[in-house]
Amino acid sequence: MKRRNGTRARKSAAFYDLDGTLASLNLLHSTAFILANLGEWSARAGYLLSLAASLPRLYLAEKQDRRLLNVAMLAIFKGVSRDRLLALGEEYCERVLMRHLYPPAVELLDANRAAGMHPVLVTGSPDFVAEPLARRLRVTTVAANRLVFRRDRATGRLHEPIMAGSEKAAWCAQYAQANGLNLRDCWGYADSIHDLDFLAALGHPVAVNPDRKLAQTAMSRRWPIVRFDGPAAAGSATSRGTKLDELDEVARLRERRPSGRAAALK
Amino acid sequence: MARPESKLRELKPDELRHEPGARSDLVVTLTRRSEPRLIPYGEEFLLEKLPAGTRVIYPPPPIEPLADPDSAIRYALLHPENADPLFAQLEPNMRVTIAIDDLSLPLPQMRRPDIRERALNIVLQTLADYGVDDVHLIIATSLHRRMTEAEIRRVVGERAFRQFWPERLYNFDAEDRAALTMLGKTDHGEEVWLSKRAADSDLLIYLNINLVPMDGGHKSVAVGLAPYRSLRHHHNAATLRDSHSYMDPRRSALHHSADRMGKIVNRNVNIFTIETAINNRMYGSLLDFMHKNEDDFSDWDRTRLRGFRWTLKNLSNELRREALHRYAAPYGMTGVWAGETEAVHKRALARVFQQYAVPVKGQADILIVGVPYICPYNVNSIMNPILVQCTGLGYLFNMYRSKPLVRAGGTMIICHPLRDEFHPEHHPSYIEFFHRCLAETTDGAELEKKFEHELAHNPTYIHMYRYGHAYHGVHPLYMWHWGEPGRQHVGRIIAAGCEEPLVAERLGWEPAETLDEAIAMATSDLGRSATITYLHLPPLVIADVE
Repeated sequence: MKRRNGTRARKSAAFYDLDGTLASLNLLHSTAFILANLGEWSARAGYLLSLAASLPRLYLAEKQDRRLLNVAMLAIFKGVSRDRLLALGEEYCERVLMRHLYPPAVELLDANRAAGMHPVLVTGSPDFVAEPLARRLRVTTVAANRLVFRRDRATGRLHEPIMAGSEKAAWCAQYAQANGLNLRDCWGYADSIHDLDFLAALGHPVAVNPDRKLAQTAMSRRWPIVRFDGPAAAGSATSRGTKLDELDEVARLRERRPSGRAAALK
Repeated sequence: MARPESKLRELKPDELRHEPGARSDLVVTLTRRSEPRLIPYGEEFLLEKLPAGTRVIYPPPPIEPLADPDSAIRYALLHPENADPLFAQLEPNMRVTIAIDDLSLPLPQMRRPDIRERALNIVLQTLADYGVDDVHLIIATSLHRRMTEAEIRRVVGERAFRQFWPERLYNFDAEDRAALTMLGKTDHGEEVWLSKRAADSDLLIYLNINLVPMDGGHKSVAVGLAPYRSLRHHHNAATLRDSHSYMDPRRSALHHSADRMGKIVNRNVNIFTIETAINNRMYGSLLDFMHKNEDDFSDWDRTRLRGFRWTLKNLSNELRREALHRYAAPYGMTGVWAGETEAVHKRALARVFQQYAVPVKGQADILIVGVPYICPYNVNSIMNPILVQCTGLGYLFNMYRSKPLVRAGGTMIICHPLRDEFHPEHHPSYIEFFHRCLAETTDGAELEKKFEHELAHNPTYIHMYRYGHAYHGVHPLYMWHWGEPGRQHVGRIIAAGCEEPLVAERLGWEPAETLDEAIAMATSDLGRSATITYLHLPPLVIADVE
């Protein structure tokens, strides 16, 4: 890509965390949504009760290590069929996630793409949630957690690498090497102190809607701090609400087109 | 009705010639028995004994302010320069936009009521009296950071704030493409972009404060309400190198460019300019010893100085910064003029020079300046190394007319601790500029070629500028360019009192632990007969160098 001044822009990428960064939701929301829509009413209640019962364990896991949280949370899907998860992932994305994207985040993602930065979604969310969203955002590279399936049923375990903490950073390094990128030229966006390794691995880390600890770290390391949930950014959403409406429209058109996996599921 | 400011002697810009011996008491040559001199040093002050023979240039005392500023404003609106009075230009249902200078002026911020608040209240009352309802207030930030709600409230005052915020009182957004319009091109090919709301208005009123002669005139609208695409035509290395100096608009390529653009704006938009001038009263009764020659200090002055320095030294960094930025100066309004932009600016410039100009004979081999805790680009923020460079080599070097205070190839000593400190929310692109761009080169033209496009169009920086409180991505490059004339002119720059030598080296300066060491370094090259001048600030002074 050539710039106006004639110099050649270096190839670069922008890595985005999803939960809390691009959207105001987190892994618990997607898990609860899927469990609440699995099976009959009686089964749903059972799933949700088991999720509620495991909340203290999840809380402790979160405190200890984000990887543990991901493992414990996604283990809840043990026994659920692959196509059911794919369908519910699509539905969650369509009905919930798209409504909770930060409009300025979508605008920034598009602007980065226009500036020549290849967008990459690096998230601890499961692939059946991350991939439908990525399609809607026209993001072609996704690194998400993948459940292990046996005979098309989730075993409750996750494929390595598990996308959390330092493994996100390691994945980015591998991806950069494979694609001829220099991480020093790449940008990274995340919201949590658990993403510290991920952010620190990139040349241009940005703390997005940071939690208290990440905000302090960003201040001390002098990383830019961006707030998509602030009043000014929220105000900006009014003028660009159309952006999300457009994305929704694209998604609806895709749904109407009876092709590929969606058609098979129907 | 007698003009309220008539008791002040009127001076026309071309007639500002100093009588022989005028203000001669403001240029002092030190002897061995002279007292140590007070030198701004970031968030503290140094008290340094300067070598005998050093010439110290002091700011002129404050001009007496107008006794009744509100009457003066009303008079100016009723008796404008080359224009109909404001009321005569008003019609019910017309669309009016009022653009206002942001909080980067004056420095430090002034005590309330701010001049802008006074003038705004009178203008708004006039508009209301004539049935004008479609009024928007735009803070003319250009590529500066968005002012916070509290900062805007402080500038415009409670009444206007309550009436207009936030729907009809807001910061200018140089990256909202839909809200900009191109008015044309100058004969030099400069694109003139402007806020669409301002351009589409039946009347654009610009309300300014002239702290220094660099401010005001066509620069107000053509820069304050313009985006990057307009600013890049004059905020570049070549134009700024050709500005001698920023404080002398007639010899400044920056101002020539802004004037060309401003003329195009004035052809397309009906502008009613209101310019104000303030005096040099930066410190009130507690700190007014700062205005004095140290040799004339009384015991009470010395006691206050000791107390002031002790307090600054013993406060934590955060508290000290907070206290300094909260300080509000008791500036007095020395003049207000309204009407056609150029005619108004001519009057305002004369008054500003009347306040600041001091005749000085000849250039020096070594110029000493102290960089204070504040400049126009770190309002309620950190004075980072790029801004120290901008203030020292940009503003303070340019405090002259005719010739620089230091000879070509001479040495400039800049006193500042120079710490690697940045505000990540206000100056995010400054961090990258300092650590990445300056690591490659310090040459302005080279930096422009390699990094301008990237910094100006970086989406994250644009986002932070639009929705956060960050300066525009390209701003650090412009601040680097600001030092371009100084960098081209002097042969050597020494950072005196530099705490982090790597920072000085990154700027292309030589570090020295103390001012004495810096002077020794400078004289080792130039010899003991080298002449030294110390520009004594604050408050401000402009040297008319013969």
